[in-house]
Amino acid sequence: MRRVNIWSMAMLVLIVASGTALLWGRPLIVGRLMLPATSLAAAGGMSAALCGLGLVTSLRRQCRFLIQFIETTDLDRRTSSAGEVAPTLGPLGRSIDGLLDRVADMTERVTGRVKELEIHLKVATAERQHAQAVLYSLSDAVLVTDLFDEVVLANESAARTLEFDLKRSRRSPVDRVLDDEDLVAMIRDMRKSDSHGGKRIVEHKITSPAGEKTYKVTLSCVPGTEGEVGGVVAVLHDVTREREVAEMKNDFVSSVSHELRTPLASIHAYVEMLIDGEARDEKTAQEFYEIIRTEAQRLGRLIDNILNISRIESGLVKVNKQPQSLTVVMKDAIEVIAPQARLKGLSIVEKLTPVFYQTRADKDMLYQAVLNLLSNAVKYTPQGGTITVETEVDEAHGRVVGRIRDTGAGIPPKDLPFVFDKFYRVEANNHMAKGTGLGLSLVRHIIETVHQGRIVVDSQVGKGSCFGFELELCK
Amino acid sequence: MTLISTDAAVASSARKILVVDDESHILHVVSLKLRNAGFTVVTGSDGQEGLDLAHSELPDLIITDFQMPQLSGLELCRRLRQEPATSHIRAIMLTARGYQLGPQDAEQSGIRRMLSKPFSPRHLLATVNEVLNEAA
Repeated sequence: MRRVNIWSMAMLVLIVASGTALLWGRPLIVGRLMLPATSLAAAGGMSAALCGLGLVTSLRRQCRFLIQFIETTDLDRRTSSAGEVAPTLGPLGRSIDGLLDRVADMTERVTGRVKELEIHLKVATAERQHAQAVLYSLSDAVLVTDLFDEVVLANESAARTLEFDLKRSRRSPVDRVLDDEDLVAMIRDMRKSDSHGGKRIVEHKITSPAGEKTYKVTLSCVPGTEGEVGGVVAVLHDVTREREVAEMKNDFVSSVSHELRTPLASIHAYVEMLIDGEARDEKTAQEFYEIIRTEAQRLGRLIDNILNISRIESGLVKVNKQPQSLTVVMKDAIEVIAPQARLKGLSIVEKLTPVFYQTRADKDMLYQAVLNLLSNAVKYTPQGGTITVETEVDEAHGRVVGRIRDTGAGIPPKDLPFVFDKFYRVEANNHMAKGTGLGLSLVRHIIETVHQGRIVVDSQVGKGSCFGFELELCK
Repeated sequence: MTLISTDAAVASSARKILVVDDESHILHVVSLKLRNAGFTVVTGSDGQEGLDLAHSELPDLIITDFQMPQLSGLELCRRLRQEPATSHIRAIMLTARGYQLGPQDAEQSGIRRMLSKPFSPRHLLATVNEVLNEAA
């Protein structure tokens, strides 16, 4: 029975195989032998004839077992509800079992690989989103093009700076995305340059309705898969403010040096005149000495102003606050400025409160602030004008108020908000006096930064200005 | 010694010099040095006044500051150069700015020398004589 079974199984396999081969019209490969489909079919036919009808019944039964076995086999658990069928199938059953082992093995490997790939995908997606988030959070504009000069990546800042639609830009030729021909040329040139790992930094100006801005454009090549230049990354960093600051510094140094040179020029020239005996009499010589002295003082004041502003701004200033009388400080400053006022025929009117009221202040600094305000009043008040110096005590609010009022040129309303800015000068009054635009900036620093007070200005063109400041009263 | 004799030679013809500067001490010291050397000196304290004085006084030479209210020294010289009555007036610029004059500016303004502040009155006087002795 077992022999019959084996034979009949072999026949069955052959019949099934030859049938399949015929059906597909392909040769069957058994080991290294390749049997043509037709010869297989013929062999199958012949064998069937030889075995006779008795075998057919057995084969039918075996086929049913096989189908039942295949249909009921649980691939995962490798068991069949057909129970005893597998042993009955003999070698075929074992080889199917082996096949199932391999299939299960392969399935397991594939499942593992799929899981692995899923993890990779998740990591890659997370990394991509992270990189995108980083790219989008950059304030610098970033634009990436490929080797066809098409935009592959750009951030919002790039879309904003270069004025294009971010969504539509992807996979579009860069010259269609950007209106800025110079920038397009830069990107193209960089791609063509073939400079691997090379960088190019170019300063580039972009004009928009909001004004002209200066950018530092960094262009670098992205390597392609085979080491060729695969594209270009352009990063635009806004350096407008830096340039402005640099320009301001340059203007500052330039105007400071001009201001320093002017009194120095007088000192230098008068000293040489004295040496050369150009002062023909003692009176002239005395006049020269006096000019040298006042010009040296002017130079000293200028240097003080510059240094004080710089110290206050950098927080390096040493503040020595003691109870002081604002009235005393005002009187001291008036005494110093009086000769200049007299020279211009200006009268100084004092409306000062008793010295009893005190404020906690750094005397030298407060004196400097008052002197600057008085000096401005003298500079910008025409011949015959009046300067009024007032102090006022507001005990209810614990404040002392200082005011310096003049009958001078006044400040146009458009300039008023800026008069305390460093280097700012009122153009309309430029011809009346020289200056660095530092004096009022220093006054504000002294009153507001150092003494936590408040400074205000009120002015009318042609009628005069009033600079007032408030300080806290000592309890 | 040579310098003094040159001064005397130039001064003898009582040449007129216009000095323009918005810094009163500079005007004072320069005019004193030039007057002591025998020159006739007129002074203006800004660019516009300088322009008016150049027209009315027709000086042989102008010494001007660069940065001045109303009209800069360079603009003053340019304008004088453009008008036939004043185009011959030579100029020396005295400036506290590190300002460099291009060849075109020099040609358009008739500025022959640039001196920077602080300056030496002695050197200025020598330069004045040099410029006055140069061929037109």
